[in-house]
Amino acid sequence: MNNLDIITVNIWQIIISLANLVILFLIFKKLLFKPVKNIMAKRAAEVSSIYDEAKKTKDDANELKNSYEDRMKNAEAEADSILKDAADKAERRNEVMLYESREKAESIIRKAKAEAERDKADAQEYIRKEIIDVSTAMSEQVLGREINMDDHNNLIDSFIDNLENY
Amino acid sequence: MTILLLILAILPIIAGIIIKVLFVPASEGIDITGAHVFFTIDLPMGGLPISEAQINSWLVILSLLFFCLFLTHGLKTTAMSKRQIVAEWIVQSVENLVKSNMGEFFMGFAPFIAAILGLSACSSLLTLVGLFPPTSDINIVGGWAILTFILITYYKMKAGPLIYIKSFGEPVPFLAPLNIISEVATPISMAFRHYGNVLSGSIISVLIGALLTTLSQLIFGNLPGILGDFPFLRIGLPAILSIYFDLFSGCLQAFIFSMLTMLYVAGGFPEDEYFRRKRLKQAKKKENMQVIENTNGGV
Repeated sequence: MNNLDIITVNIWQIIISLANLVILFLIFKKLLFKPVKNIMAKRAAEVSSIYDEAKKTKDDANELKNSYEDRMKNAEAEADSILKDAADKAERRNEVMLYESREKAESIIRKAKAEAERDKADAQEYIRKEIIDVSTAMSEQVLGREINMDDHNNLIDSFIDNLENY
Repeated sequence: MTILLLILAILPIIAGIIIKVLFVPASEGIDITGAHVFFTIDLPMGGLPISEAQINSWLVILSLLFFCLFLTHGLKTTAMSKRQIVAEWIVQSVENLVKSNMGEFFMGFAPFIAAILGLSACSSLLTLVGLFPPTSDINIVGGWAILTFILITYYKMKAGPLIYIKSFGEPVPFLAPLNIISEVATPISMAFRHYGNVLSGSIISVLIGALLTTLSQLIFGNLPGILGDFPFLRIGLPAILSIYFDLFSGCLQAFIFSMLTMLYVAGGFPEDEYFRRKRLKQAKKKENMQVIENTNGGV
């Protein structure tokens, strides 16, 4: 009994072969399908998470871009208003300065005029006094005597007033 | 580590060759027999002969085990190795096959189909290294066919045994015996188809070898010395025939066997009836839950 015949049916061999197939099924299930499917599911999850992240980043970027654009628009308007403000302020200040300088100049002129007037009055007074003194002296010499000072003064004053009237 | 696993996957085949060389006597002439029996374990019902077919199928399983480990060790989500690409290709193509032939409900069958494909194809391909193909032993293939038969019957009974029994009386009750015969014939035909194809390949190989030896003796027999005995015609031609009988036929039979398994199991499963019953059961369960809730609320 070295070799089997071409067809020999043996129940034990059949059972063992059946068990072999089940064992190989379990081997394939645990050692091939499970790890491979796990890794594929993991990769799918990773890929989708990366996609989500990319989408999120893109959304964020878009939002940032929009806000920047808005701000840029606002900034232009702001710059305009600032420029306008500055121009207005400068103009106002200009006017004020002009006005102030005019004022100053006028006051200086006024002061100068007043001074001149005062000087003129002083000079007149001085001249009058001189004339009085001179005329008194002359009169004293001419008359040869002491004249009444008060009378004299009055006389000369009236004379000068008459002069002024001419 | 990787190379070690690959060596471990190849080692069983080499061990098979060594066992054959050491223990199996060389056949002489036209010698068509079954597997060589190493020893027999005493068991009731004829005892268990530990034959080449048994040993070789165990060696194939061992080899496939290490091959799985070799393929799946060090899996990564990015920067995949070639091994991983092969592993994923195997898994995905088997799953696609199961999905297209059986539908979503039977996705759990994918490893089973892969096991049939792998075991059958690798067993048949053992002839390429000169080993006895386990698939040319009726007991081996018969075991698979019986497992398939059990699965077919299990899925036919999924919607209740009454429907299963009733299905024998269709289309007319007096055809029941024929239906029973066809039911039983399924695994037998599957087993014999596979077994017969592989065995016939081996037999034809042996016959052609013998024929070519005779022919070359006739043609070159007059040459002097060893040249006269050398079978020149056996160079080349048997190899070409072996491409069909061993490589193509082996893979084809593996594919046919798994295909028939898928079709029979999915075809025997009364899908509509099963899902109808499932829905009914779920509705009933819901009702019961509501009743319980109501009583609880009442208390």
